[in-house]
Formats: sequence, C-alpha cells, structure tokens
Amino acid sequence: MITSGPVAISIAGHVIADAIVELGVTHVISVPDTNLRTVLALLEARPVPQVMYVCTEDEAMGINAGLYMTGHKPMLLIQNNGLYACLNTLKAIPLDAEVPTFMLIGQFARDVNQRPEESPKRAVNRLEPTLTTWGVPFVRIEGPADVPKIREAWDVAWTTNGPSAAIVGAPTH
Amino acid sequence: MLKQEAIDLLAKHRNGAISVTTMQAAAPWHLAGQTSSLHCEASLCMGSAASLGLGIALGAPKHKVMILDGDGSLLMQLGSLVTVAGQKAANYYHFVFANGYYESSGNQRLPGTGVFDFPALAKAAGYAGAFSFERAADLNTELPAIFKRTGPIFVELKIARDDATPRWALVPMAQMVRKLKSELAP
Repeated sequence: MITSGPVAISIAGHVIADAIVELGVTHVISVPDTNLRTVLALLEARPVPQVMYVCTEDEAMGINAGLYMTGHKPMLLIQNNGLYACLNTLKAIPLDAEVPTFMLIGQFARDVNQRPEESPKRAVNRLEPTLTTWGVPFVRIEGPADVPKIREAWDVAWTTNGPSAAIVGAPTH
Repeated sequence: MLKQEAIDLLAKHRNGAISVTTMQAAAPWHLAGQTSSLHCEASLCMGSAASLGLGIALGAPKHKVMILDGDGSLLMQLGSLVTVAGQKAANYYHFVFANGYYESSGNQRLPGTGVFDFPALAKAAGYAGAFSFERAADLNTELPAIFKRTGPIFVELKIARDDATPRWALVPMAQMVRKLKSELAP
C-alpha cells in the first residue's frame, strides 16, 4: 500500500540534540549516518556529550561497554546498514554481556512517503524485523511528536541492562 | 617463545593494570590467577578486545589498561588500530599473541601470514610505540620500560604454534562486566 503524503516528518537537528543532552549522555559513539548529520554537527559543537567517530559499529559497541564499566553514560549513533554490520557484537556485548546499549539509528535511504515495511529497500524494511529477531526493543521517531520516545528507549536500555533503539525515520534538518 | 611464557611475564609485570583478554589468551590468563579483579574478557566477539579496552582506558584514565589480543582477532577488526591511535589513550597497552594461526578453530593459517607486519601497521596507524618480541628473556627485560611509556603502545608477542585443544574461560562475560563495573564505578 502506498500512503499519500509523508509518513515520516523531518525533525530539526537541535530538537534531537537537546533530547540527547537531557538524557545525560556523556559520549556519542558514531559511524556517521547521513540522515542524522545535522544532529552530529550540533553535538560536535557542544562540550558534552563527546562525539567519538569510530571505524565500525563493532568498535562502537566495545567502546560503549568500556565506558559503561567505568561509570559513563554513552550511546551509539549509527544507520540501519551499520546495525546489520555488527550483529555478532550485538549478540555478544549488549545482549550476552548485559551492557546498556542505546542506539539512535537513522533509516538511511528510506522514502518518507512510505512506512518502513512498505519500502522495497532491504536496508529499510529489514531493520525492525532484525531488531525483533534479536529481541532488541525499539521505538519509531517519525516526527517531532515522537521525540519523547527517545527517553523511553534510553530508559529501557538502562533498566534492562541491554540494547534498545530509537529509529529516526526522516532526515533531520 | 611459548604462549605460557608470555602470559607468565605479563602477569609478573602487570602491577595493578586492568586487563582485557579474548579468545585463546583468555583461559591461560584465567589459569594464571589474573582474572579475580580488574579484568574483563571479550567473549565470543572476536576482534572486540581492542575497542573494549579502549572504552575502559578512556573511562578510567588513572589506570593502565593492558589488552591481551590475538593476531586473528585483531585482523577481524583491524580498523581498531586507527581508532585506538586516534584517541591517543596514554594508558593503553596492546599485546598481541601472534603465531599466524587461528588457534580457536584448529590452527588454520591466517590470511597474509608472513606478509603483513603488525608493528608497522600499528606505527602507521599512529600508536606512540610498537615493538615485537620473539624471546621471553627480552620481553622480561623490556616490559618495565614499556609500561612506563606513554600509550598507546603496541607489542607483538611472537609465540610458537600451540596444538593444545582450544580452551575457553569459564566465567560468563556478563559476570565479568558486573564485577569490573563494581570495582571501577560502584
């Protein structure tokens, strides 16, 4: 089914950046996502959280765990393809080792006029099924009204000692 | 040198450093009595020891952090060398057991064995220092000075092929994570 009009609405980058700051995040570990580039630029301009770019999402999960064990409050900012790239580490560290791992994930290459499950692109339509398969709770951030759900997903990671995700559906501006 | 010789020397010169192990370094380190405190293992996530150790090093800068990695493991996430070097973690000491074989899966040859040069890769990535040791006596002599250097430091440990049955640590990673967190950030 093709819906009329946008399903996902662009959110101002500063709204998401502010939400991240309000969580008390100390480090944003990222393999950058095109859709969230305005969020990254705004976070980079602030002293806290520290934005740390890494080579792979596997590394991001390892560093996240190390920072967690030393009393910090890190998170990941990645894209849908990045989640697929690090499934073995997702299994081993956030899940098996029970490390709070909050992931803000951009739906790279999504047509905002389609629901994710309607997208012909596997990068988009396989994200939620992949998270579900691995038992990773997630929320959809489809527009400004959904921004409070970022805290809900963050809290899930920290109360369950495991992974959680907030999926941002449209490119931020 | 034998892996056990290197393990014994690293234990001897550890001096309170936090340790991170993975794969076939994990069980010998455990059996050497080195895992009861200030320790974590990257279990069943081959290649993650370097990044796990980096997070600890950045989060606990007053501690020295020693990573006991494997050559096959490091190759799986080789970009970690660049990430580690980029963070300039002064308290980071990266030891890599290197014999050119995937020990855990039955001693198959690594790709590029005899061709690539780990210390050169680490230096080119930006590590503050990179060394290689074949003889236990040399490692024993140099370890105190190595631990006094500003990191990140890379140390290749050239060990003999080990045909023993692969061994695995018995402590779940979740338990080690909880323990280390209770020690560093209760």
